[in-house]
Amino acid sequence: MSQIITTVGLSKHFGSLKAVNNVNIAIKEGSINGVIGPNGSGKTTLFNLLSGYFLPTEGTIYFQGEDITHLTPQNRVVKGIGRSFQLVSIFPQLKVYENMVLSVIRFLKRYKTGSRFYLSRIDANKEILNDCMQCLGMVGLEDKAQLRSGELSYGDQRLLEIALTVALKPRLLLLDEPLAGLGDVEISFMLELLQRIKKDFTMVIVEHKITKIEDFIDELFVMSQGFVICQGKPSEVLYTPEVRKCYWGEVD
Amino acid sequence: MEIKRLANAALFKNTEIKSSPRILVELIIIAVVFILLSFFLGKPRMTDFMIFGIAVLSYDLIYGYMGHLTIGHMLYFGTGTYSATLFMKLVSPNPLLGIIAGILAGALLAAIVGSLVVRTKGATFALVNMAFNYVGFFLVAYAWADVTGGEDGMASFTGTVGPVNLQQHPLWFYFVLSCLLLSFFLLKKITASPFGVMVKAIKHNETRIKFLGYNVHYYKLVTFVIASALAAFAGTLTTINYGYIAPDYLSPLRNEELIFANLIGGAGNIYGALLGGTLYMVMKDYLSIYVARWELVLGILLVVISLKFRTGLVGFLKKHIQLRSGSGR
Repeated sequence: MSQIITTVGLSKHFGSLKAVNNVNIAIKEGSINGVIGPNGSGKTTLFNLLSGYFLPTEGTIYFQGEDITHLTPQNRVVKGIGRSFQLVSIFPQLKVYENMVLSVIRFLKRYKTGSRFYLSRIDANKEILNDCMQCLGMVGLEDKAQLRSGELSYGDQRLLEIALTVALKPRLLLLDEPLAGLGDVEISFMLELLQRIKKDFTMVIVEHKITKIEDFIDELFVMSQGFVICQGKPSEVLYTPEVRKCYWGEVD
Repeated sequence: MEIKRLANAALFKNTEIKSSPRILVELIIIAVVFILLSFFLGKPRMTDFMIFGIAVLSYDLIYGYMGHLTIGHMLYFGTGTYSATLFMKLVSPNPLLGIIAGILAGALLAAIVGSLVVRTKGATFALVNMAFNYVGFFLVAYAWADVTGGEDGMASFTGTVGPVNLQQHPLWFYFVLSCLLLSFFLLKKITASPFGVMVKAIKHNETRIKFLGYNVHYYKLVTFVIASALAAFAGTLTTINYGYIAPDYLSPLRNEELIFANLIGGAGNIYGALLGGTLYMVMKDYLSIYVARWELVLGILLVVISLKFRTGLVGFLKKHIQLRSGSGR
């Protein structure tokens, strides 16, 4: 398998704080990867660097062999990097199906031309609506398409958040704590959803509840104080003493 | 395939997306209402109201829909006014050409200023726009006084279109009514399109749009230019309407009228903009007869609206109609 994204000496400093420190990772195409680590260990900052939210202080990011270190977020999406957010980031005043519109038309060539984008009516456009409903169907929200998305339960908002990103059909899907704040039933639904879509994407998942996704991932990265301190198969990584020490605070 | 089938079933059964009423019917209703009102209030007065209505519509796009408060919108209104006046004086007295020239001038200025200001949001956006507006105001009122007539303003001469004198009532009334309907139609179209979703989405979450692969600044600029061109349109009608212009049309202080009108009717709603614009003008015209300091009443009203009716009159009515019909949430 070839590598889809590679970082070389990637660092991000906020003043004297080294949030991400000399990180060298390589993600294999088609693999499912987990990133764990205590709060403040740099997981989300790493995500922000990969998706273009921040520019790194040092280092380089290669996506499919191409240097993307200085690309804007929107251009990275065009290249095929999609991300979801740890804090649900949707458009609360828009209806659920309206939330999906911008995602589903982003890569439809037909909507590149001005008049369709600026003057066609969404609520009479079966083509767009079908695409929206299909994506909502994937996450089980099709019955709630007419609600304002701000009225959805937190779990449903999280599903919508994932749907927004997945609808872009990225090659690399970055999920920032998809299980955060969910109840047990919602967690099992989310895991079932991830299981269902995982064959279509290369995924990187930041997650605290590592035991929930342990069986699901191929490669696990452990971060601590900005460094990637350990990587490998989850079953092996989770039982190395230094990981247990920094993550659970256990000293054997 | 299973998902697709389910989604289709859902789409065409229980969650079918309701189509809003036909746009033609709405246009006719609005036209009838304004014509009826003109019998009570007089055609010249209604013409003033409708021109103001176009300006309020344009403001609604930036403030109500895109969620960007600006205190510099009069710059484009004034640009339309002065450009059309100077065009008719220096190039051709044809008012239709004057209107087109004014709109183009407003759009051009908005494209230049906009490419800077769309990088900001919130208070910065409002204040940077105000700063540009003051620059424009002082240029017109003082620096370019030889051309613009300075603080005294200038008379504007409107020619005829062939044999037709556009300025004569009732033709002028119906012409402005058509302009209002055209503006309404345009806004209705673009707010119901994918672009409309983009504009509303910008209001809530610019960052997320970037991560959906869009260049947010570009769409903010497009919105800014459309709204400014529409304001310039209203400005060009003003100069033909009054036959006299003054730097007052460019004053940032008059921006508050647009904000009031938007808040009264309900920001982010095309009908709200029309209703708010009309109500504001009615108050301005009639209240001032009975109350010397009528702005005091306006101030109190604004406090009540801000505290009690955040969605404006249209939002209030909508909520109550929905509750009564049992479909409200």
